[in-house]
Amino acid sequence: MFPQKTKRKPCGVPTGSTSDMAFLLLIFFLSTTKFDMKYGMGMVLPAPTSESTVKVKLKDENMTKILVNKDGQIMVNESSIPFEALKDHVKSLVKNNKDMVFLLKTDRQSNYANMMRVLDQLRLAGAEKINLSTN
Amino acid sequence: MAKINKSKRPIPGVPDGSTSDIAFLLLIFFIVSTVFVKEKIIKVKMPKAESIDKIPRNHAVTIYVTQAGQISIDDYALQIPDVSTVMTKKLNIDYNVISCFRTDENTNYGLMADIMNQLRNANCLRVSFEAKRKI
Repeated sequence: MFPQKTKRKPCGVPTGSTSDMAFLLLIFFLSTTKFDMKYGMGMVLPAPTSESTVKVKLKDENMTKILVNKDGQIMVNESSIPFEALKDHVKSLVKNNKDMVFLLKTDRQSNYANMMRVLDQLRLAGAEKINLSTN
Repeated sequence: MAKINKSKRPIPGVPDGSTSDIAFLLLIFFIVSTVFVKEKIIKVKMPKAESIDKIPRNHAVTIYVTQAGQISIDDYALQIPDVSTVMTKKLNIDYNVISCFRTDENTNYGLMADIMNQLRNANCLRVSFEAKRKI
């Protein structure tokens, strides 16, 4: 008369997908981790001047003076030049004279960004000999 | 004649029970070993540039310069005249030290020129101006 009791299977948490979950998390962390990389414009400063320093005078034809004022306006060899034209101008100067030294003189009141954008253009134009100075 | 009974061999298979353990182990390793860069007080908006190269981390000493003129080397705030002393110590530890400037784009260039003069006095001549890549 009594209904027959069916034999129940023992219960258990399915663990088959644990490794999938773990790998998923692992890949998520691996792909989203961003390393703090350092990128910048490398330069070598001139050595400190002392009594034993030998001064070499540069010829005027091997030297280009670039002035940046506090408003970010640029002057190349006493003539004003728009920022957009700077790269091509420097490129032609480097092409004509590979020993050309660029003296980048930035106003003390000028923003650091003004110097950086000019320096960036100089490097993009292929200028290798760059000297930084201020007034 | 005695007949050798062939015993039924179990089908060989790669044990995969420990895959989740390995994955979790890797996951925990990456979580534990990841170090986040903390920028607590010093907030710097770096300028953007195109001609930037990777800076070798093992030689780099980061110099933070804020818009307000605060200077910090390796999380120690200092004044301009102290830069030379600190950098001389750094140079004694690592001869190839590179001073990486993390300068705010609105900082006065005069301040940067003063710091660079201090670096010259300390004979730390390798510098790098950190910038973000222009997209």
